[in-house]
Amino acid sequence: MIQHIDDHIPPFDDAAQEREWLAQENAMRRERLQLDSTGDDARSRRYRLLARTLREPLPDALPADFARQLAARVAAGPAGRSVESLLTLALAIALAVAAGAVVAIYGGTWLPSFAALLPAPHAPATHWLLALGGCLGVSWLLGLWQRQIGERPN
Amino acid sequence: MDDIRSSPDRELVDAVLANRPGAFERLVREHQGLCWHIIQRMVRNPEDARELCQDTFLRVHQCLHQYRGESALKSWIGRVAYTIALRHLQHKRIALVEPSDDSDDYALVENIGDGFDLEAACADEETARHLHAAIEQLPPLQRTLLTLYYLEEATIPEIARMTGLANGTIKSHLFRSRLRLRGALETRTGVAA
Repeated sequence: MIQHIDDHIPPFDDAAQEREWLAQENAMRRERLQLDSTGDDARSRRYRLLARTLREPLPDALPADFARQLAARVAAGPAGRSVESLLTLALAIALAVAAGAVVAIYGGTWLPSFAALLPAPHAPATHWLLALGGCLGVSWLLGLWQRQIGERPN
Repeated sequence: MDDIRSSPDRELVDAVLANRPGAFERLVREHQGLCWHIIQRMVRNPEDARELCQDTFLRVHQCLHQYRGESALKSWIGRVAYTIALRHLQHKRIALVEPSDDSDDYALVENIGDGFDLEAACADEETARHLHAAIEQLPPLQRTLLTLYYLEEATIPEIARMTGLANGTIKSHLFRSRLRLRGALETRTGVAA
């Protein structure tokens, strides 16, 4: 998520555009510092009006107790789960139970066909598959360990 | 630069990770304004924006262990908010930037304008409303960049960290949107470009 971005701001290729940009920047700075606008030209005064408008707070801000409510929700943890996530969990359990029931009832007719497709326990392909599985497992565990190291406060 | 190991950001993050009472609430309070500015400017719908702000901080809480302190916490949280708002726009098939003909805007480059009494025009509420409407009509990305630049007073490199855009791209967007808004203002005040 963190990016290393060069802080250099390139100038425009066109000199007129660069001058206009500098006029915009100058007007913004002067408005921010609330400097006297008496000597400003018309272009500068327009850009200053623009700056004033853009610095006005946005309407419809977040509720005053937004931070408190959110902190309470986070502190509630899993107990504060939404109805949607509870329904999703219930649905997942129901599906798992249904799948188990189907396997228990009809599995007797399917399983021999699937077993015939699997490689023999001592075949070379089985060893390679086990090795691949082992590599993936070790890589996953290393990732998990690195994340836990990263979570520790300095 | 914001690459400091024992910065207040680092201390706050460590406090949240250690589940210290009030730490997460403080983090939210300190950055909710930024989050609101990014999301509200991107999606424009207050209801959606509130929900997405909530999603942002839940995601921040979930991923805070990934924060390494290489950029300011503000930029890191801004990046999360921007990504969440961006996904929302993509889901709703709303374009982030509009392909437009800038030739009219560029006609204003280096046009100093005449001595029109803008101060009098500013007093006119109608002009202010017109300018706000022109800002609202900008594409979501340009609106957001202007808000970050003016209201949040974020620098271009900071905005680059939040949005993942190049500095030159941000500069170009800021330049064109300011020129376009100036054009809208001149149309309103009746000054020929």
